[in-house]
Amino acid sequence: MLSKREWVWGYLLIAPMALGLAVFYLWPIAQTLYLSFTESGVFGGHTWVGTANFTDLLGDEEMLGALGNTVLYAVLVLAGVPVAIVVAALLNVPGLRGMSVYRTLYFLPVVTMPAAIGLTWRYLFNGDFGAINYLLGKLGIDGPYWVGDPDFAIYAIAIVGVWSSVGYNAVLFLAGLQGIPRQYYEAASMDGAGRLRQFFRITLPLLTPTTFFVIVITMINALQVFDLVYLMIDTTSPALNGSRTIVYLFFEKGFVQNQRGLAAAIAVVLLGLILVLTAVQFRLQKRWVHYE
Amino acid sequence: MRFRLPLAGLLGLAVLAAGCGSSSEPAADGKAAITYAIWDKNDQASAEKIIAAFQQANPNVTVKLEITPWDQYWTKLQTAASGGAAPDVFWMNSLNVRMYAKGGIIAPVDDAKAEGLPEAVVDGYRYDGKLYALPHNVSIPALWYDKKIFDAAGVDYPTADWTWDDVKAAAKKLTDPAKKQFGIMAPMWDQGGFYPTMIQAGGHVLSPDGKKSGFDDPASIKGLEFWTDLIKDKVAPVAEVYTDTDPIQLFQSGKYGMYYGGVWFASTFWSNPEIRERIDVAPLPAGPAKEAVILLGLANAVSAKSEHPAESAAFAEFVSSEPAQKILSDSGGGALSLRPGTQDGWFKAFPSFHLKETYEASMPHGVPYPATLNTAQWQDVQQKLLADAWAGKRPVADVAKEIAVQMNEILAKE
Amino acid sequence: MSRPRTWPAHVILTAGALVMIAPFVWQVVVSLQTLPDSLRVPPKFTPSWEWSNFPEVFRSVPLARQFVNTVLVTVAVTAGQLLLCSMAAFAFARLRFPGRGAIFMVFLAMLMVPGELFIIPRYEIMQGLGWLNTLQALIAPGVFGAFGTFLLRQFFLTLPKELDEAARLDGANPLQIYWHIMLPLVRPGLLALGLLTVMWSWSSLLWPLIVNTDPEMMTLSAGLASLRGQFQTNFPILFAGSVVASLPVIALFVFMQRQLIAGIAFTGSKG
Repeated sequence: MLSKREWVWGYLLIAPMALGLAVFYLWPIAQTLYLSFTESGVFGGHTWVGTANFTDLLGDEEMLGALGNTVLYAVLVLAGVPVAIVVAALLNVPGLRGMSVYRTLYFLPVVTMPAAIGLTWRYLFNGDFGAINYLLGKLGIDGPYWVGDPDFAIYAIAIVGVWSSVGYNAVLFLAGLQGIPRQYYEAASMDGAGRLRQFFRITLPLLTPTTFFVIVITMINALQVFDLVYLMIDTTSPALNGSRTIVYLFFEKGFVQNQRGLAAAIAVVLLGLILVLTAVQFRLQKRWVHYE
Repeated sequence: MRFRLPLAGLLGLAVLAAGCGSSSEPAADGKAAITYAIWDKNDQASAEKIIAAFQQANPNVTVKLEITPWDQYWTKLQTAASGGAAPDVFWMNSLNVRMYAKGGIIAPVDDAKAEGLPEAVVDGYRYDGKLYALPHNVSIPALWYDKKIFDAAGVDYPTADWTWDDVKAAAKKLTDPAKKQFGIMAPMWDQGGFYPTMIQAGGHVLSPDGKKSGFDDPASIKGLEFWTDLIKDKVAPVAEVYTDTDPIQLFQSGKYGMYYGGVWFASTFWSNPEIRERIDVAPLPAGPAKEAVILLGLANAVSAKSEHPAESAAFAEFVSSEPAQKILSDSGGGALSLRPGTQDGWFKAFPSFHLKETYEASMPHGVPYPATLNTAQWQDVQQKLLADAWAGKRPVADVAKEIAVQMNEILAKE
Repeated sequence: MSRPRTWPAHVILTAGALVMIAPFVWQVVVSLQTLPDSLRVPPKFTPSWEWSNFPEVFRSVPLARQFVNTVLVTVAVTAGQLLLCSMAAFAFARLRFPGRGAIFMVFLAMLMVPGELFIIPRYEIMQGLGWLNTLQALIAPGVFGAFGTFLLRQFFLTLPKELDEAARLDGANPLQIYWHIMLPLVRPGLLALGLLTVMWSWSSLLWPLIVNTDPEMMTLSAGLASLRGQFQTNFPILFAGSVVASLPVIALFVFMQRQLIAGIAFTGSKG
């Protein structure tokens, strides 16, 4: 039964949140859409310019570069997802001692602020004094200037991106693994399937709902990468051409060069990109995700 | 354990209140309160002393110092200016002054107040024939060198008579690939790097009327090649090295013989005892056509919307006056005072560096830093394209010509 | 069934764990080196016990102040999120009112929108309020979140229907049911949301970097970024700052890891 009192309570309880979301989420979305059709004056004010920002972005080398860098980064970080599956599978080995110690260590990068992580890795990647090139040198490999060279910078950032998210994804996969009923494995053992075969025949297919979730989340986060680029690459570095991401460009245009209208257009493009790629993911899921 | 609503609410309110309390300003009791915004933390001590001296002479004015790091300074200033709330007096550089002058954000200054200050620096603050800020310090690029590396290679230290050929010859002798030691560094730096060499070779960055780029002048190209040749000849490390590690820090690793750096690095180098002993400084070597040193100075601008224009202008004038310049010098910080005759205190703070000699040899060859209304825009083009030349991906001449074309387009729109 | 061997797993996991923690160890080591020591070839893998890097950081940026700012912002944002999200989540899960489904869909839609879309208008709101360079500029947008509402709603949905009915018969109004009966039962959800919020709020960079340009009003993340601007690649100093900035959350995590990990695992299964 719907009592009027219940209505009132319902509205009262959601009111603060709804109001806040309206002010800090809904209104900004509308405003950003509007601003993306305007040009900002150097010292304030904006004028309507129609779709000029979008057509400018379409032909802008920096924007196209940033799009390419961002997509490449997302692909590289997604390529790191299997690492998390392997880690989770190993953590899930029955009778493994010290599981929670391992889990803590793998999770450490997740709780550390990206600003600190970026600085640390920037030094590790230093071409002359960094530990990574030193170790590569021991193997007889002459390491590149990872963060100084536009051809390598995005790979260096992606390595850090994978490193700092393995723990988070492994925890999600571990939860997925623990949801797979033991009986499947027992039945497979009876049929004489080895552990590797069980992994490919049982674990991977039954883990696909988690895999799908992780891929979508990882992709959305990767498309919005900013912190690592900002801390690992100097604002004047030539390597920025090979590592400037969409959000970085948004920050540069909006809050360094004060071209807010153009920045708003960049944000709208990003929204479109995320929506399209997520929709594609959801369409593709029917082909490979197994729901029990 | 039960967590009660009123308690949680109170806690939240208390936290919010703690946050709000900090932004209130003390009320001024009939005094004119002005704010002074700067970006360099290293100048805090001297700025506070200068403010104290000013307040003593002008008891009816209080000056509040605001320090915002460089990375945020211009964004913050631009935002404040858009809201009509720029600080009363603030640091300005010659890159941005025209934009602020044109936007009506800063007030013009009486030209007579800049009397006695070096023209190469003052001129950087003129726009449309009017002066818009009063400079108070000067940055002079110079040649830093590592005595230990020179001694080991048996090369004589640089002198004021050095030319490009001396630099190249020394760089070759000081390089030792086995030790990963290089004779010189060749970072892509405008003020102390390729701008002076372009001019020293007889070229120019901008035409005197500021309407044409000088990058396609063959002499300018020679000035750029001075640097790329050092990298090509392997007497200087490749371009990526300087983006990986800042040259100021790189030089302190003791693996580089020479470094075109600023005299203002003196305080950084001096604070490192290991480095202090082994390095010294000389004036920039002369090029094939002439001697040239690009001078840059920071200046104080007064907000056009200041509520206390007279007091603010008086303060800006005071910072560039002899007593204040002496205070700046005596504090021995990063910055070198601008007004001639006030620098001795600063030189004495770093006794083993030949700063006085470098200063005296450099000032007569001072050239203003090239700037127009949209300096940042064409510098952006210049940085991006030159990066290819420095990386050895494209010939310098091609790059320089392309810069000239794009720069001329930007200049034509001004 | 024979007990599977676990040593191959140990070998691989240990190798991986080394890769995970080596950067942290290295950061601490270098934070105790001199600048020239940090620029040696081959790298010097031992500290030179240069403790002065730490006071130098505190002299260069108001790190203590930024630490307090970060704690205040994190506490306020987390408290606000827990209260507001749980209120809304309770209403969506346990109360019926017209438009409930539609409003909830609007909330959900906001989960899809990247944060960058909000930044410019929020900045202008803060500018209009005169809140730039204040802590409330960091707190206000942070206390509202569609994600927390969604997460807690899932928890409220799992509670049995009989609970509210019994309480209602006793004459309790929805507020009392929410506060006295339901909230204690979703404590694991609150804990998970709380820890996630602490983690996000502590680390967030872009918004604090934009709204608070005054070092006195910055959080540690933005403070580290401005330290970078000041010291370029003077890594010993930068790392001293990083160690100080990241230690508290690492410590909190080591104590609360079970709850945090349970919370994240939950977002995976219910998200």
